[in-house]
Amino acid sequence: MDKYFSVFKISLAQEFVYKLNFIMWRLRNIIQILVFFFLWNSIDPTYFGYTQSSIMSYVFLLILIRSIVLSTKSTDVSGFVSSGDLSNYLLKPVGFFKYLLSRDIPTKIINITFSLFEISVLYLILKPNLFIQTDLFQILLFILSLIIAGFIYFSIIMLSNSAPFWVPDIGWGVQFLVTIIFVEFLSGAFFPLDVFPKPLFEFLKLTPFPYLIFVPIQTYLGGVSTVETFKNIIIGGLWAIILWIVMNKVWKKGLKVYEAVGR
Amino acid sequence: MDKVIVVDHLSKNFFVNEGNRSIKQAISSIFSKPQQKVVKAVKNLSFTIQKGELVGFIGPNGAGKTTTMKMLSGLLYPTSGFISVLDFDPFLKTPEYLKQISLVMGQKNQLWWDLPVIKSFEFSKAIYEINDKDYKKNLDELVSLLGVSGLLYTQVRKLSLGQRMKMELIASLIYKPKVLFLDEPTIGLDLVAQQNLRDFIYEYNKKNEATILLTSHNMSDLSDLCRRVIMINEGELMFDGALDDITHKFAQDKVIKITLSEEIDTKSIVDIGVIKKYAFPYCYITVPRSTVAFAAAELLQKYPIIDLNIEELPVEDVIRTIFSAKKV
Repeated sequence: MDKYFSVFKISLAQEFVYKLNFIMWRLRNIIQILVFFFLWNSIDPTYFGYTQSSIMSYVFLLILIRSIVLSTKSTDVSGFVSSGDLSNYLLKPVGFFKYLLSRDIPTKIINITFSLFEISVLYLILKPNLFIQTDLFQILLFILSLIIAGFIYFSIIMLSNSAPFWVPDIGWGVQFLVTIIFVEFLSGAFFPLDVFPKPLFEFLKLTPFPYLIFVPIQTYLGGVSTVETFKNIIIGGLWAIILWIVMNKVWKKGLKVYEAVGR
Repeated sequence: MDKVIVVDHLSKNFFVNEGNRSIKQAISSIFSKPQQKVVKAVKNLSFTIQKGELVGFIGPNGAGKTTTMKMLSGLLYPTSGFISVLDFDPFLKTPEYLKQISLVMGQKNQLWWDLPVIKSFEFSKAIYEINDKDYKKNLDELVSLLGVSGLLYTQVRKLSLGQRMKMELIASLIYKPKVLFLDEPTIGLDLVAQQNLRDFIYEYNKKNEATILLTSHNMSDLSDLCRRVIMINEGELMFDGALDDITHKFAQDKVIKITLSEEIDTKSIVDIGVIKKYAFPYCYITVPRSTVAFAAAELLQKYPIIDLNIEELPVEDVIRTIFSAKKV
């Protein structure tokens, strides 16, 4: 365990080197949130079955959940694979996935800290009417849904990171498609997914993407029946397991064709 | 466990995309599968290395040395054949295995670019689970050997190439691996550091009974350190034995070194052998191995010679000849 704690420590130290970079990244997050906020401020959310209060809660939760689920350093792995830098990590006596996850924890902590700060500032400026969940059981389910989301996202990212094993020149292309189009668009990071027509929404819920953002927020807001909430947790959990297994298999296959280029 | 490294009928093929030679080809490659070529980097290679041996691994660029090293360390999956190092299958990369080996490559980058160097070493201490005492001892030893004690708190990115190479070496050796794969370790080092490193490798090998496989294009590395060399070319084993035996096996010529009492007309020597160098009073002539005695007798008879020596060709020359002949 000490090993991984040292990964945590050194990554945290590394995190503070690029301060300006980090601030830019947070700024990008805030702008995304502001777009979301002004969009929903200008239309009537009741048309989509939301109240003004619940949609504002959605916005504020989005800030927090993005930092918990979507902040990761693992997107650089595809570059390591095509450049051959991966070799340095493979030769260390640490589990590579555990290494990546330990490296993500400081990233997530810093992002969460900043997002809480941003939420407070935005709250003071916008003075929205927020919904506070008080049911402890619902909060526990919310935390569980976040853990599931974290694992789903890690597996998705690692799957896209595996592409350069076979097509070294593909690099950021796959990542862009996966992280921007699929993850952002279909996860609920741009709008609540239940604004889609019901059949489409039901179909989307069979894919892993809504379990990244939309489902955790919905679980917090508690707008759906307990049965529905459990169903979400189970399907999300199944996706987390399936994707983890598939990702492991793909990664292992990738390592067999890995060419360790660069020297 | 005497045999530390066992390599048996090892082969590795790579698939290489043929590069696009023209824009037209580049465009059409977007739509069609690129032309692939199989490159046989290592072909049917077999050798074993005993515990505590220090073996030189030589061959021209592209011979398959680094590919073999990468398979030995577990980075590459062999196309066929068998490898065992310390009774482990390297490709499985178990932590127990990785803690006992080190792959040192000229352009490896395992230091944390943005942080002071010492942080990287402390990180190694944690992941290799080195105890405080050994860590301090190893670090002090390596740091003084490479003369970098003043740089431990410098950010890695601020180091010069040579300084960084030294730090990479420290990071690769600080956990005292039992098996070392050194891929051109002296590249980029200044002369003092090269010699220090050679001495260190020699000592390290002796003291820890470490098994070392070393590639280098630097003949001093080989002649100072390695009694045994394995020579490969185009992925195939060419020679495995004592460094000096390379000459016996491959050199068809010997060199006759004569010292003259007066200047001669060198043209007439052509019948006897090839003049490698003539700088009065010395003259070096290479002659075929089979006729060396006859040639020496003839030289003594015809020319005013004070001294005559028959020697083997320098091993560098032999190796160079082998590799350039093979290249055609």
